[in-house]
Amino acid sequence: MTTSQKIKKTDLGKLLNQWSQEFTVLVPWRENGLATWAKWNGTDTSFIDWYRNTVVPAKAHFLPSQEEMFRFQKDEKGYHIELPDADEHKQLIFGIRPCDARALTIVSPIFEELYEDPYYLAKRNNTLLVGLACTRPCDSCFCTSLGINPAESIDVDLMVTDIGDQFLIEGISEAGKELIAGASEVKEATEADEAKAKEIKEASYQKVTRKVDTDNIKEKLSVCFEDEEHWEKVADNCISCGICTLLCPTCFCFDINDELVKKQGTRFRSWDSCAFSIYTKMPMENPREEKWRRVRQKVCHKFEFHPMSYDIIACVGCGRCIRQCPVNWDITQVLNNLPAKV
Amino acid sequence: MKEMEQRLQKEARALLEQGKVDYIIGFEPGSLKFTTTPLITKDKEDVERLVINPFIVNNLSVFLTELQGRVGIVVKGCDSRSIVSLIQDNKVVREDVVIIGIPCTGLIDLSKVELVTGKDRDELDDIAWQGDKITVRFDGEEKVFPTEEVLFDNCLGCECPTPQEYDILLGEPRPAAPNLTASRKNLEKLDGMSSEERWDFWKNEFSRCIRCYACRNVCPACFCKRCFVEESEPQWVLPVPRWQDNLIFQVIRNIHVAGRCTDCGECERACPVNIPLRSLSKRMYELVDELFQFKAGMDKDAVPLMTHYELEEAEDFIR
Repeated sequence: MTTSQKIKKTDLGKLLNQWSQEFTVLVPWRENGLATWAKWNGTDTSFIDWYRNTVVPAKAHFLPSQEEMFRFQKDEKGYHIELPDADEHKQLIFGIRPCDARALTIVSPIFEELYEDPYYLAKRNNTLLVGLACTRPCDSCFCTSLGINPAESIDVDLMVTDIGDQFLIEGISEAGKELIAGASEVKEATEADEAKAKEIKEASYQKVTRKVDTDNIKEKLSVCFEDEEHWEKVADNCISCGICTLLCPTCFCFDINDELVKKQGTRFRSWDSCAFSIYTKMPMENPREEKWRRVRQKVCHKFEFHPMSYDIIACVGCGRCIRQCPVNWDITQVLNNLPAKV
Repeated sequence: MKEMEQRLQKEARALLEQGKVDYIIGFEPGSLKFTTTPLITKDKEDVERLVINPFIVNNLSVFLTELQGRVGIVVKGCDSRSIVSLIQDNKVVREDVVIIGIPCTGLIDLSKVELVTGKDRDELDDIAWQGDKITVRFDGEEKVFPTEEVLFDNCLGCECPTPQEYDILLGEPRPAAPNLTASRKNLEKLDGMSSEERWDFWKNEFSRCIRCYACRNVCPACFCKRCFVEESEPQWVLPVPRWQDNLIFQVIRNIHVAGRCTDCGECERACPVNIPLRSLSKRMYELVDELFQFKAGMDKDAVPLMTHYELEEAEDFIR
C-alpha cells in the first residue's frame, strides 16, 4: 500500500496549466544567466534540467524587496490615508527547495506573533508551496547541518521528487492534497517508485558535504561575544554590502520611507540590512558603527539571539551568503572556528 | 605563476619582518572551487597562504582607506591604477603603501566558463591555463577553449596589464594588447539600439536591482564616508529599489567615479543579479577619455580630473 502519487515528467506542464487557472504559478526561470522566479508561461519546463536554486529566495514573494504600504495626502484638515485593497491574490510557488521552505516556517512567526503584519500574512496565507527535492546541492550548501534533508520537506503543501522519467508526489498539507485531487495525469505511485524516491533522498543527503558544528552554538557565541580582536579578524575582508543579508531567506529586516510629491505621499517598505552602516540611523544612531560589530550581529542574530527567542536557528544552510559574496566570506568557517570551546 | 607566488610570499614575509609594513593585503584560497578571498594580515606566518592564480578577482585597494598604518598590497594592473587614483585624491599616501605588482595575464570569468561548458562552477573538476588556451575538466572529459572566450570582458580590453605604479614587480612587465572589439561586446549591443530600446533595456535590467550596494562597496573609487544615496535631507534618491531609483542611483554613481574608474570590472562582477554595470562604467571611461583626454590612475602626480579647476577656466559656471 503506497501513500504517494506520481506524474509523468512530460505531463508536468498540464498540471501547472491546471493550477494556473486558480493561482499565479511561479516557476524557476533563467534571465541573463540568473536563476530567479517567474510566472509560468504555459510551456517551458526546461528548468527541470538546470534548476538548482534561485539567487533571490522565494521570500521576495512574501516580503518583496519593495512594497507600497499606503498612500496619503495632506490638506488643511490634516492627513488622509488610503490603504491598498485587501491582497487576495492567490499564488503557487512550484519548485521551492526544502531549505527555503523551512526559512518561511522560521520567518513567519515574526510577522504573526507579537504583531500581525497584514502585508506579509496576506501573501503567506494565499500561497501554496510545492517543494521540489534537491538532488544537486551546491558546494556552498550546508542544509544538513541545520536539520534539513535537501530532498525532504514538511514545510510545503506538496512535495515533488524527480525519480527519472516521472515525479513522485507526496501530499503534505490538506490544501496540497487537494491540489492533485482529480488531476487525470496523476496516478498512484508503486512501491518501486517510493523505494526509488527514498534512495534519491538518501543520496541527496550524502551530497551535502559542507558542515557546520551547531552543538552548543548559542553558548559558544555568547562566550566569545566580547572578543573584539576575534571579530575584527573575522570581519576584516567584509566589504559591508548587503548581499548576504538581503539574499538570505531568513533575513527579514525592512526600512520604511515616505515619498512626497507635492501633497501626495506614498509610504514604502523595502529590504534593509544590518550590514549597512546607516542601519537604524533613523530612530537613533547605529550602535554598530564598526564593521566587526555588524558582522558579529549578523552571525549572532542567526545563531544566538533568534534561537533565544524562537528556539530555532535562523539559518537553513542554503549557502547563498557564501556563493554570492563578492569576497567569499564564509559563515561556515566562522562558525567552525570560534575561539570558545563549550 | 608558482614562481611569482613563491617570490610574493618571500617579499611579503620580508616586509613584515623588517617592519616596513604593518599589514599585508593579498589573496588566499577561497572556500569554494576557483575562488580566492582577500587576506589581510599582520602575521608573517600567514604569508604562506598567499596565492596568485587566474581567480584573484578582487580589487584590494578598496581596503586601503580602512586600514591604519603602512600596508603592503598585492595588485594587478587595474588595481594599481585605483591606488594611483586614490593617491591623486589624497585618500592614500604614496609612502604608506608598498605596492607589490603582478604583471597580469587576465582573469577567468567563471560565468563565461559556465556558459561554454554548460556546467555550474562547482561541477567542474579543474581549470588549467596554458598559453592562449584554457583546459576545463569535468565529467571525466577535457575541453579546450581559447582564453579569449573565458576571460572577463575588461581583461580582454586591458590597457595596463603591468601595474602602473609599483615598488616590487613579481615578474617581467607585460605589454598591453587590448582587444577592444572583444571587450566592448556588450557596449556594442547597446550602441546598436535606438534610445527607446536602450531605455527598455535598462528598465528591465534595473528592475532586478535589490540595492545591496555591492557595486559601490567593492569600488575603490567610491570612497565617500557617506554616500549621497544615504542622505535623507535632501533625499536625492529613495532607498526603495524601484527601477527608476535604481537607475538614477547608478547614473549618479557613475558620474561620481568619472575620472576615477579604471575599468577593473568589480562592480559588474559583484552584482548578485547580473546587471551589466560595466556597460555604464566603461562608457563613462570612454567619455572621459574623449572629452578630457584623461585616463584614470595613470599618473599619481597629475591633478584629479573632477576636483580640479583653474581661475582661467573656459566655462564660467564654476567661478
